Amino acid sequence: MAAPTLKVSRGWSGLALGVRIAVLRLPGLTQVRWSRYGPEYQDPQIDKEYYRKPLAQLTEEETYERELRKTQVIKAAPATKTSSVFEDPVISKFTNMMMKGGNKILARSLMTQTLEAVKRKQFEKYHAASAEEQATIERNPYTIFHQALKNCEPVIGLVPILKGGHFYQVPVPLAEQRRRFLAMKWMITECREKKPRRMLMPEKLSQELLEAFCNRGPVIKRKHDMHKMAEANRALAHYRWW
Amino acid sequence: MAAPSVSCGAAVPYRLFLAGRVSFAREQGLWKAAASGLQTGTRCQILRLKHSPAVTTKKNVAALRRESYTVDFIKKQIEEFNIGKRHLANMMGEDPETFTQEDVDRAITYLFPSGLFEKRARPIMKHPEEIFPKQRAVQWGEDGRPFHFLFYTGKQSYYSLMHEAYGKVLHAEEWQDQLRAKGLFSEKSKSKDPIGSRWLIKEELEEMLVEKLSDQDYAQFIRLLERLSALPCDAAEEEFVGRFRRTVTVQSKKHLIEPLQYDEQGMAFSTGQGKRKTANAEAVVYGHGSGKIEINGVDYLLYFPVTQDREQLMFPFHFLDRLGKHDVTCTVSGGGRSSQAGAIRLAMSRALCSFITEDEVEWMRQAGLLTTDPRVRERKKPGQEGARRKFTWKKR
Repeated sequence: MAAPTLKVSRGWSGLALGVRIAVLRLPGLTQVRWSRYGPEYQDPQIDKEYYRKPLAQLTEEETYERELRKTQVIKAAPATKTSSVFEDPVISKFTNMMMKGGNKILARSLMTQTLEAVKRKQFEKYHAASAEEQATIERNPYTIFHQALKNCEPVIGLVPILKGGHFYQVPVPLAEQRRRFLAMKWMITECREKKPRRMLMPEKLSQELLEAFCNRGPVIKRKHDMHKMAEANRALAHYRWW
Repeated sequence: MAAPSVSCGAAVPYRLFLAGRVSFAREQGLWKAAASGLQTGTRCQILRLKHSPAVTTKKNVAALRRESYTVDFIKKQIEEFNIGKRHLANMMGEDPETFTQEDVDRAITYLFPSGLFEKRARPIMKHPEEIFPKQRAVQWGEDGRPFHFLFYTGKQSYYSLMHEAYGKVLHAEEWQDQLRAKGLFSEKSKSKDPIGSRWLIKEELEEMLVEKLSDQDYAQFIRLLERLSALPCDAAEEEFVGRFRRTVTVQSKKHLIEPLQYDEQGMAFSTGQGKRKTANAEAVVYGHGSGKIEINGVDYLLYFPVTQDREQLMFPFHFLDRLGKHDVTCTVSGGGRSSQAGAIRLAMSRALCSFITEDEVEWMRQAGLLTTDPRVRERKKPGQEGARRKFTWKKR
């Protein structure tokens, strides 16, 4: 949202609580992104445990936080979020990224089929393995998914910086959010492009996830390539000014 | 008989318009407020919003200078307003002595019904203090010498206020030292309610002082007030600080919780309504049940084949740990599958409010279950393909 939001920090002890300041109008700049919610609306807190925590256990900060939220207006909870135990923010984000043309039903069904495929493969391996190996085989598809994506996250990335009329690829440390995004994006593009014609997406995706879980596979290779490029362009690191 | 001075136009935003007029001009502004003031003040003050082209010519710049109202003029306006109020009371057949501003507003809407959508464009009759922007009287005497000793700072009210506040801080510190010397000083921590009140914002302070302030000035002033409030003060200083604090409303108080109703069998139930995009839903939640949800006469499993929608229906109950304990019957119309689910969710949450404690209502509110989602479909604009998508750009 282009409109500036009010951030309340402790030091001001209640400065501008719940007050809507007219949006900053700078000459020559028009607002292009707006929201139906005003700037004073806060995001909802859906976690049940947050509310069930007894008051005696709260620290001072948390008590202040609680009191503060009582005075704030809260946005409506989005249609994709619930307090269910089965909900996972990483899975939701991945489903949204897989979605094409707003077809959430298809994306979600593909996701569930992928997780089922992962589980089936792991169970087959489990039943075929000996007793010592059985202890090492991970069967929970959610842990496999999380671990696979974490293994795919690059640590450092390249950013094109214009200097002296040329664009140089400068190595730059990536933010957490960007890393997660890149891992998911690479995974999805890899599965879409390198899939054999008759293979379905869940099968391919489960294959890739299991390989990434074991630190093998094309997505991991892409991550290593990115790291090598960054290492090669090490000399340009001083072009970065932030 | 002087006609009641009915003013059409914006009360508070007028001030903002006037204040921001110079920056608007620089902004190649689209809207300019041109007040065609009838300075004699017998009839209406008409405020016209003019749409002017992007370029501001020299001609327009002259018109942007602030209109200044003399003290006599304002006084006359106030007299006329009071007389007009009495006439209005007589017209409506009510007692002129106890005719309040709300009565005035009601009378005006009755006598001058307006179908205009813009509320600020409708006829209003308010006290001239609210209509005419607050202006400073002339700050210097006949010989040209200013009255206030801080006039040449440019922001005399602000600096005199800072001066006063700092004086109070010194006084409070002196007092504290005296207490320490006597040994009567106790480390009393100021247990001020962190949420009950807030400092006034910059706009409010500017309004109070009738002077423009910068952000740094405002920040400095608030820091000084914080320092003052941290020291032990007496009643006069508390009152001084209190002038700059405003109360903050607690949001949950705004919700009205319906009491429970009982049907013929003695079963407790409660109704709620919900909206989302173009879907409207009404839900009836029964106190005892087995978790059955019936929508338009159809079971929820058949009505919502998609898991996501059923999760939305389950959300309020799961949040309150009342999953299998209530029966719901609802009707829904309009919208698509997702918006119908959202509307039913809101209706159920509102109905559930009657069964739970106030704390739980507050938790639901903070989880976003009790807010109507204001997001609606954005309209398509002319010259574009959709709401945001532009036509394909062709070079020639």
